[in-house]
Amino acid sequence: MFKAIIIGSGPAGLTAAITCAENGLDVLVIDEYMSAGGRLLGQLYEQPDGSWWNGLRESKNLYTTAISLGVKFHFNTSVNNIEKRNNRWVVYTEKGTFYTENLLLATGAAESPVPVPGWTLPGVMSVGAAQVMTNVHRVKPGKRGVIIGVNVLSSVIAMELHLAGVEIACLTLPKMNSIANKEGNPSQVLDSLLHVSHMATSPLIRYGSKLLKNDFIKNLGIHFYPKKGFKMWNTPIQLRKAVIEIYGKDEVEGVVVAAIKANGEVVPGSEERIQADFVCIAGGLYPLVELAALAGCPFFLVEELGGHVPLHSEKMETPLEGLFVAGNITGIEGAKVAAAQGRTAGLAMAIHSGIKGLDTEIRHSMDMVKQTRESADIQFHPEIEVGRKRILREWEISQTSKQNHEALMG
Amino acid sequence: MNENVMIICRCEEVTYHELVSTATKYKCSARELKLRTRAGMGYCGGRTCRTMVEKIAQSMGTNTPTETNISLKVQPPIRPVSFENLGRISK
Amino acid sequence: MTERIIDHPILGKMEDVNHVTFSFNNRVYKGLENESLAAALLANGIRTLRYQEESGSPRGIYCNIGHCYECRVTVNGQPGIRACITPLKEGMTVESSGQLKIKEKEV
Repeated sequence: MFKAIIIGSGPAGLTAAITCAENGLDVLVIDEYMSAGGRLLGQLYEQPDGSWWNGLRESKNLYTTAISLGVKFHFNTSVNNIEKRNNRWVVYTEKGTFYTENLLLATGAAESPVPVPGWTLPGVMSVGAAQVMTNVHRVKPGKRGVIIGVNVLSSVIAMELHLAGVEIACLTLPKMNSIANKEGNPSQVLDSLLHVSHMATSPLIRYGSKLLKNDFIKNLGIHFYPKKGFKMWNTPIQLRKAVIEIYGKDEVEGVVVAAIKANGEVVPGSEERIQADFVCIAGGLYPLVELAALAGCPFFLVEELGGHVPLHSEKMETPLEGLFVAGNITGIEGAKVAAAQGRTAGLAMAIHSGIKGLDTEIRHSMDMVKQTRESADIQFHPEIEVGRKRILREWEISQTSKQNHEALMG
Repeated sequence: MNENVMIICRCEEVTYHELVSTATKYKCSARELKLRTRAGMGYCGGRTCRTMVEKIAQSMGTNTPTETNISLKVQPPIRPVSFENLGRISK
Repeated sequence: MTERIIDHPILGKMEDVNHVTFSFNNRVYKGLENESLAAALLANGIRTLRYQEESGSPRGIYCNIGHCYECRVTVNGQPGIRACITPLKEGMTVESSGQLKIKEKEV
């Protein structure tokens, strides 16, 4: 029995663990990865003040702090199921069963692929896989790669690969189909990139500051729908080409690209081959909500948050007593927002377990989440605020109807 | 290789053609599409292809929009469990 | 063959590495202790980790963080182990799983 159990040791889970421990709770953190940090591990980018955001170092610092506060960790441990029994949450793992009255789901996000013929060949990997291989394990994903899918995440990772000396032949689109209808349409891809860059407090400009300002945005402006593409960090970006096939006998040998019209239609006869020994698929991220679904949490589909998210309050509570959520399970945002949410969740768990006098602190932490969001280096969806408001409104509606119901029954 | 034989569910090797033609023929929801084709029912539990299966159902206009529910049900265990461990858990 | 990034402009030099020996499909390789099995194999130029049960099509790492199970291999006799989240230890015996009766790639 632990006062608090946290599933996921990314920025949200670690910060929540530290917060719980600071308030005297004994905490167990479970993660199926080998070490602490989650998606934070692979992150590496230059911040507006010129310093580098080093995910490996941030992860290590959070982990060391948690350990010094007595937080227990079970790594390489997958959670198979959770359920509520006798007012306690039961967490089933391959290494045993654990119990708590305060359970936090901080399981993060998974990548949603854009499929391309040949994408099961060894050498094809998600763009996040290439990031982890390069920055965490320090093994090059290959000699020369092609990234399929042009978005904030893939641009960031392309820069990281470039930094590590991995050659990227190009970033380009997937061929449009029923699945990749937005990702394969040049106008829509450009719109979404410009939308992000046009915002008054442009995250794309702030992110990677100098590099992006000089290369990426300028080129987008100058070469509207550029037929020849443009370069960013010496990497060609092709919005008017699409990969129609990944080829190779037993492993990736290259891709076939074709010219596409502004609406994504392939120009017949324009096919050409690009040699590569690895290919990255970049279709974006979606909240990984499996455990919340098993627990019976209500969901709402909020596109601005990246998909279906569990209903939750600003204090990161779900409608199920003792079940909390934080980080990308609540919507796709950067690691700093996730960490800020983790602090709120940790305080909410401490309050739920009976610790008094945390009201001011939790209110402050909720303000910090907003502030962090407003000044975020990276933003994956331009309308994130809209999504956040939507889920909070749904929470209020559910609370009102619950109160009405109780009044009626009372 | 053409798009029709392109694999969507990597675990069960269900193709794009199979999914699109099933969705067209039965005008079915994402969940029915999964049950009919086995897409998303393999080793990974649908974590990799879930969003793609949902998009196919949506693009055919055959997925009843379930705004307040996740359209593809999640069932335990969400990670494969060995028989040895299964025995331990039930004790 | 892919390379290790020994020196990184921001992350610096790789520290505290300890070499260990392991085997993959009966062949002996060297890797770094506690790195992921997937990283150790890739650093040795190995991308194909298994063959799909029915068609026998070759598969390698896809998500690299334990979500997709594409990299599952048999480790010390235990099948279904995700190479991407398993730390490498001295003397590990690793085998690729695959289609029954499919001809293994040259061992």
